[in-house]
Amino acid sequence: VTAPLSTAVLALIAAAGAIGAVFAVLMLAQRSLYASAICLLVTLTQVGAIFYLLGFQLLAFLQVLIYAGAVMVLLVEAVMAAPPRLEDRFSRLSVPKPIAAAAPLALLLELVAWGVLGAPAQAVPTISAPQSAKLAAILFGRFAPLTEAVGLLILLAALAVVETSKPGYQE
Amino acid sequence: MTEGALVWGIASLLFLVGFVGLILRRQILAMLLCLELMVNAANLPLAYYARYWGSADAIAAIFVILAVAACEAVIGLSLILALYRKERAIDSDQITELRG
Repeated sequence: VTAPLSTAVLALIAAAGAIGAVFAVLMLAQRSLYASAICLLVTLTQVGAIFYLLGFQLLAFLQVLIYAGAVMVLLVEAVMAAPPRLEDRFSRLSVPKPIAAAAPLALLLELVAWGVLGAPAQAVPTISAPQSAKLAAILFGRFAPLTEAVGLLILLAALAVVETSKPGYQE
Repeated sequence: MTEGALVWGIASLLFLVGFVGLILRRQILAMLLCLELMVNAANLPLAYYARYWGSADAIAAIFVILAVAACEAVIGLSLILALYRKERAIDSDQITELRG
């Protein structure tokens, strides 16, 4: 069992969780899908911040890279690629002003709290190099068949996207 | 409040919001957004226990879940777009046919 987190880190986790929860509820309240996607983006970023505060920097990096980055770009792309007939309903690329103001304000407040409560590099526990090596040993050792299966799944997902985007599939 | 209770509280809240959204919203794309939120919420306790027990197994599991969820999002979005174009379906209620 590892040592408990400091009060500063706990406060930051609580702040990140509160911001994430508020934007998750706002996501539900939006009629525009684009606005919903932007709210989800803030929530996913907060989940990444919690990963970081728990000491998993690589996980936080992947969370931002994959979810807040790639998946959200795909979602916005899907909203924009909706058929013209549905544009009015799905492709209103505007975020309500209160949310547009609240998102950067919340992130700013979080950064201020981050600075006031202590430097993250000192407060956050870090994964030691042996633990990273252990993780690699698990992924490519005991979990190797699973890792291979996930790699295959990614390949199949790419093939499925190509197949479903063919004109013949949509007729 | 202990860190376990805090992380479980945040994860439960996010999961609940995602679940409520999945039930209440009828737009397929909005349902996919809620699913993504639920997957992310489920990862939080895993990360907490990975830290608590110093276990790399849970982190490996999160890596796998991240990759699978990304695949799910990609396939789901491409299917949704294909449905929009083929059936002009925007709500889950409108999709009532399964064809081979």
